[in-house]
Amino acid sequence: MAGAVVMGVVLIIPFILSFNPYYVSIFISALILGGVSIAWNLLAGGCGQVSFGHAAFFGIGAYASAILVTKGACSPYLGIVAGGICGALGSLIIGLPAFRLRGPYFALAILGFAEVAKLLTLNMTWLTEGSAGILNIPPLPALHLGGLTLDFHISRTTNYYVAAALVMAIYLTVYFMKRSNLGLAMSAVHGDEETAAGIGINVVGAKAFALVVSAFCTAVMGGFYAHYVRFLSPDTAFEGSWSVMPIVASLFGGMRTLIGPMLGALVIIGVDEFVAKQFFEMGHKLFFGLLLATVIVWAPAGLMGDRVRMSVKGRKR
Amino acid sequence: MAEGTNYGLYCLGLAFVFGIMRIINLAHGEFLVLGGYVAYWLLVKFGLNPLLAIPVAAGAAGATAFLSYRVFLQRIRTSSELNTLILTFGLGIFLTNLFLQLWTADIRSIGVDWMERPLTVSGIYFSLGEVIAISISLATVLGLHWFLKRTRTGMAIRVTAIDRDSAALAGINVERVDLIAFSVGGLLAGVGGPLLGMLAHISPGAGVAITVKAFILTVLAGVGSIPGLLVAGIILGVGEAMTVTFVSASYRELFGFLLFLLILLVRPSGLFGRRV
Repeated sequence: MAGAVVMGVVLIIPFILSFNPYYVSIFISALILGGVSIAWNLLAGGCGQVSFGHAAFFGIGAYASAILVTKGACSPYLGIVAGGICGALGSLIIGLPAFRLRGPYFALAILGFAEVAKLLTLNMTWLTEGSAGILNIPPLPALHLGGLTLDFHISRTTNYYVAAALVMAIYLTVYFMKRSNLGLAMSAVHGDEETAAGIGINVVGAKAFALVVSAFCTAVMGGFYAHYVRFLSPDTAFEGSWSVMPIVASLFGGMRTLIGPMLGALVIIGVDEFVAKQFFEMGHKLFFGLLLATVIVWAPAGLMGDRVRMSVKGRKR
Repeated sequence: MAEGTNYGLYCLGLAFVFGIMRIINLAHGEFLVLGGYVAYWLLVKFGLNPLLAIPVAAGAAGATAFLSYRVFLQRIRTSSELNTLILTFGLGIFLTNLFLQLWTADIRSIGVDWMERPLTVSGIYFSLGEVIAISISLATVLGLHWFLKRTRTGMAIRVTAIDRDSAALAGINVERVDLIAFSVGGLLAGVGGPLLGMLAHISPGAGVAITVKAFILTVLAGVGSIPGLLVAGIILGVGEAMTVTFVSASYRELFGFLLFLLILLVRPSGLFGRRV
């Protein structure tokens, strides 16, 4: 199974890199992106709802966790979970009304929501410190397992494996969801909403479930991000990249598979770091834009896809 | 209010392309900013008066649009709207970062002294710059109107928008019409660029905000109504100004977004549009 292979590679990457902190941190970024991408793809590839604003859930998760931990003296582990819940709630706020909208309009509504979330975070300074950001967010507290102490403050590698664990958890969540009746319902909705409704599927329910799970997972990665980089500002937490990159990663890796987005994330982060940044110091992200445009025109199935059917509704105009 | 008419101009290209071709061009803002950078560069390198640079800027933007369409968009026209959306999204990101690379993240202003000169029109102070901008906006709208109603190409575009198959039967080269229409959209965007640079400032990231505002206006005004755009632009401009005055300056952008979400959910066909 491709998924197992990729996750296996992920697990041994730090060994390959000789635990070099710089390289490991690059791949931690890839893992964070991968987790979000897999979650994004649950909604997009699994249920047919493309979201242009997943940064909203990421940022909400990050900020919720950071605020609870810095102001509420809560443990970061709990904070991350709480962040996930906040993200999920946020998704319902925009999702339920937005599900009435057709494809492109839904995508743009979520985009609007992401911008609103960013602006609100920027302005609610009493809670979020606004543009100054939240500094010195505590890292994950050290874990003591038997005689072994896993410290997350100094070591990059331990953070790497936490990220990897989160990604695996997300992957398994998505996997079991797709295999369940709910997953079938989502596929039906993806194929043709009207027909799905016609055969008695609760379309809104399926979409909502996909969205909530997708948002929860994304927000959890956001929470991890908060305790990993330990600094948040509205611009970094809600950065457009968190909305765009999952799309590029998923599209490139293959939206028809579960592990495609993770693979896509690994490849594009790798290429970005090691190739694009060498040539285009400042504008290296142009590579992503070009990749997005090129893939969707010439190879919509991505790396892993075997069928070319990419369009969300599956209909030729 | 003056800002409002400018908004109308900035979004003209997007509304045009969307209304005619049902393509949501998320790179629209970037075409506009490209026009701005071209005008900036011409001013800095050759001392060219920005107003004279407008046609050049528009041309550059139009050419970029032409290329984008020819190389990318044309091939996925038959696919879903969403794919086209993602494509233009990608192009926009490409352009934004290209600007970043070529012109750095510094904010550029096309500063010309005579823009600041005050004029009084029935007791209200304007700057000469604002008056010129409004004039150009109106001129562009009128120009577009004339183009669509009086020239053969314009009429071909309109017919194709109404019914592609009949247009094709009547002998109109539909693919070429699409190409021209999209390029015109880019051209329209390019006109706004130098103006933006003169009135405010341009930076690589400015495109996104413009595109979003333009889309808000398009949805607000409704598909197919160009005068509606100007009205919508004024509504947005006034609304923002009031938000700044009564609430707080930092909530200014929020007004637009909330309005956007509200319209999408409540009345997707917009204030003046044909039913979507």
